[in-house]
Amino acid sequence: MENKNDTRKENIQKLLLRLELWFAPVLIIVPIGVSLFFLWDWYARGFSTGSSVHDGELFLGLLLFVGNLVFDIPFLRSLRMFSKKE
Amino acid sequence: MFFSEMTARDAFKLTKKKMTEYQTEFLERMNAIEVDAHWFRRVFHTFAASFLFYYLLPDEEWINLGKIVLPIIIVLCMVVVEYRRIRGDLDHQRFFGLRNYEKKRPASYLYFGVGVLILFLLFPQQIAIPCILCASFTDPIIGESRYHLGKKRAYAIGFVISAFFFLVTWYRADWWVLILVSLLGATGAVIGEARKLKFADDDFMIQMVPAILLLLMWQGLLAMGINMLPPPLLHPL
Repeated sequence: MENKNDTRKENIQKLLLRLELWFAPVLIIVPIGVSLFFLWDWYARGFSTGSSVHDGELFLGLLLFVGNLVFDIPFLRSLRMFSKKE
Repeated sequence: MFFSEMTARDAFKLTKKKMTEYQTEFLERMNAIEVDAHWFRRVFHTFAASFLFYYLLPDEEWINLGKIVLPIIIVLCMVVVEYRRIRGDLDHQRFFGLRNYEKKRPASYLYFGVGVLILFLLFPQQIAIPCILCASFTDPIIGESRYHLGKKRAYAIGFVISAFFFLVTWYRADWWVLILVSLLGATGAVIGEARKLKFADDDFMIQMVPAILLLLMWQGLLAMGINMLPPPLLHPL
């Protein structure tokens, strides 16, 4: 039982040291969240009021969304490939 | 009574044992995942485009103060971390995705942060936004294209992508300004990326070279009585 506890503690410590694993979800979720916010802002302040002043939010929202997805997919694929190998 | 008590205790013990086993297995699986440093660096770049949220922050007195103080504090923290890493107080191994040549000099994320800080504080958003987009997207696109298509084609693609960013962000400007800004900005971004300097990382140069070129052009035209800046692209909430 003690051995199992030690292994668990050791695993937790290893996991805490692997900052890249903690960063990975942030790197994927935050830009997608921000891009959706840009799109929502364009819809709320621009599209629904018939104003073209907020078209910049639309452009940047789309750019961020597509740009991030293009790089997120191979990144996620690379993660999955490595875990499959194990 | 005794029998039922034993059963409950056994069930509890069994559940606890299974939970422990599951936890251990889960932790082992998590530890077995390997993150590809190459794609990690690319995603770090594209992630930085979300800093543009800065321009949506409301235009109120205390928030405006935060817009100056907070980025400075963040970059100062990065400076302290990098200083300690280079001195050896922090283990280099804990910084995932660093290149070999970054062992003895500040890592590129610090250069990136300083570049973004300068753009936020000293440049109008019309200049800062496309420059940050170039650092976030053009840099990894050039990196990937260079690997698959060779240097020359990669820089040509980088030029087109950067020009596109300037076209999109300056679309409200006069047509001649739009063309000049796109050509000058894209040229600056590609030069900033292509010229490797010993003491300044390309993540810094790809932002600063086009920004300074456009600043000079803007001020030069302003001296002649022409204001080339279009209205701001993003508006505070």
